[in-house]
Amino acid sequence: MKKIIIVRVCEIFLKGKNRFYFVNLLEEHIKKALNGVKFTLSKLQMRFLIEDFEESDYLKIVEKLKKVSGIHTISPAVVVDSDYEKIKECVIPMCEDLRGTFKIETNRADKSFAIPSVELSRMLGGDVLSVYGKNLTVDVKNPQHVVKIDMRENGKSLIYTQVIKCVGGMPIGSSGHGFLMLSGGIDSPVAGYLTCKRGMKLSSVHFHSYPYTGEAAKEKVITLGKMVAEYSAGMTLYVVKFTKIQEAIHEKCAEDLMITMMRRFMMRITERLALKHGGQAIITGESLGQVASQTVESITSSNSVVTMPIFRPLIAFDKLETIEIAEKIGTYETSILPYEDCCTVFLPKYPAIKPKMDRILKEEARLDVESLIEEALLDVEVIHL
Amino acid sequence: MIYLDNAATTKPLFNAVKQSEKYLLCEYFNPSAKYKQGIETKKSIENARQIILKDLPPYFDVVFTSCGTESDNTAIFSFAKRGNVITTSGEHSAVYECFNQLKMRGIEVRFAKVLKDGRVDKEHLLSLVDDKTTFVSIVHVNNETGGINDVNDLSTAIKRKNPSVIFHSDGVQAFGKLPFSLSESVDLYSVSAHKIGGLKGVGALIKKKKLTLAPYIFGGGQENGLRSGTENVFGINVFAVAYNEKQANLRNDYEYVLSLKELFLSKLDKDVIKVISSEFCSPYILSLSAEGLRGEVIMHMMEEYGVIIGTGSACSSKNPHSRILKECGYGAKTLDGAIRISFSALNTKEEVEFAVEKLNECVKKLKGIMKK
Repeated sequence: MKKIIIVRVCEIFLKGKNRFYFVNLLEEHIKKALNGVKFTLSKLQMRFLIEDFEESDYLKIVEKLKKVSGIHTISPAVVVDSDYEKIKECVIPMCEDLRGTFKIETNRADKSFAIPSVELSRMLGGDVLSVYGKNLTVDVKNPQHVVKIDMRENGKSLIYTQVIKCVGGMPIGSSGHGFLMLSGGIDSPVAGYLTCKRGMKLSSVHFHSYPYTGEAAKEKVITLGKMVAEYSAGMTLYVVKFTKIQEAIHEKCAEDLMITMMRRFMMRITERLALKHGGQAIITGESLGQVASQTVESITSSNSVVTMPIFRPLIAFDKLETIEIAEKIGTYETSILPYEDCCTVFLPKYPAIKPKMDRILKEEARLDVESLIEEALLDVEVIHL
Repeated sequence: MIYLDNAATTKPLFNAVKQSEKYLLCEYFNPSAKYKQGIETKKSIENARQIILKDLPPYFDVVFTSCGTESDNTAIFSFAKRGNVITTSGEHSAVYECFNQLKMRGIEVRFAKVLKDGRVDKEHLLSLVDDKTTFVSIVHVNNETGGINDVNDLSTAIKRKNPSVIFHSDGVQAFGKLPFSLSESVDLYSVSAHKIGGLKGVGALIKKKKLTLAPYIFGGGQENGLRSGTENVFGINVFAVAYNEKQANLRNDYEYVLSLKELFLSKLDKDVIKVISSEFCSPYILSLSAEGLRGEVIMHMMEEYGVIIGTGSACSSKNPHSRILKECGYGAKTLDGAIRISFSALNTKEEVEFAVEKLNECVKKLKGIMKK
């Protein structure tokens, strides 16, 4: 009997002739995620098997795999020879802690095995009941627990009870490279996570407004960035000094357009960084109507200064739905720390909710947009997370 | 760097660290061990204990702890158990949160109001004391405003109303800084090493000998069974040497720091910066507000000039506004712009002049930027 972990892919199996490209990419990311852990990896049709690891590394491996995009589910399992007595020896102890209803489900790829699937499940079910009949009853239609027996053609059987849900989606890198606008808030890390899930490799850009925001605010963003980086197989964070731009807007433009103007600068700078470093899209945490800068008019205004596609995975999400994901991926607790964010300084009392484009352009004409951007791009801090 | 956040922590005194270095590198023995070296190490702790006690009346004893917060917790949870218990609404969170915890445990907690400069409103405090009051805790020096409470006078007045009250004071910002002695009406007094040139990780609870604490750390029975755990020999010795040095220079330092504070105030542009601390405050702490601006932004601007100042109590910097200043009755504009300058005898007049000049500059500049 040997312990292994079965890794199932998400929608890669839908792919046609390109399938191996995706499988190989996922294999590469699994190896990268488990860097530093001793294990061997093999492929079993559209699944991977992780074997030969130290028992003490098991939980670490599970936690790492849960963050690898492209993995649908994983199951800790045992492997035994496809022999009735040996299978029985494994199945019975696995049922010791189960309570309620259960069933045994056999998948017999090895047709040379004499006992048919249904019959084998029935026999093993009887064996379990003879030992744990007090705790368990059989329910083949809607059981609380399923003990799966997967009889492979190589004469081995994989037995497991647990199916752990992972990120799903596509392997990182299979959907290109995007630039996430990362603030210290709740939304942008979630937007980053969701984009990673679809296989996009991320870099991120943060706008820092020292002295209006302090080191603690930057550290918070770095902490959030590290959390997102785990889903992105690593991530580079570009920290842009935004103070001069904010002060210039504040000094020269109408107060109600402060945020509108800032967003236009942020978009332009993010696009320039993306173009320089191989990015193909901009990702933001915007949600329609959530705040003044996220109305359709404001989004139109910030959208119009770039040509690169902008992905807004949260556009139709309610705040509570976003918070639910933030809690799931562990970013929520950090996001709600109260350090100032670059968006919260110079907040106008009454920001424009439906800014008009001709007015925006008129106000923006008071600024030397190009030199402000160029100056900001000259001094960008690069942090590899 | 010009360090003006000495109420948060202050630079360890070089002499104290140097003199005690032998307890790190040579005499590292466990003070509970029965061989000669262990006994010698134990003696060094007893010697340190006597140094801490030397300026106090003979009915006091000292229990070494890990910090001022632990000392406060030990005092409060040992004696605040029944009847009603009283503290001020302007206490440091090390005391304030203990009283909130007592409230959750069903004990009647009463909060005395504080004045604009952070001192307790004596009249209100005394009106709260009745025959059911068992425990009162009043901070000696308010950690944000520097407001000095006369703990001898307050404890005497309280005991005149109810002699059975146990009186505790958090003396973290006073011990080794202000010239004072404790009267017989004070039962418990918390102190901390790192505020007076010692190290973080060491504090002490000064207590009347006749009072029995209820320990909550059990183990090897160190500190007469009141605080188990192998003693921080190095830290305790540094604490004692630092205290000795501080006490020897106490009056000179006090006068010198007072002159620094007066210099700072004389050059402060009071048209743009409001002074919260009053003449009844410790010279070591100066609470100010650049009303309408954000204290944190000013702090960062000063950082650019190499001047380190505080925005209120470091222990509560996670909250946007200072609870203590709010309790003093200040509105949002003052709370937003609150900053704390805290001096040490190591600061020079030139440093103070530079700092106040830059503070005036930063506030005016920021006002200019934000004025729209």
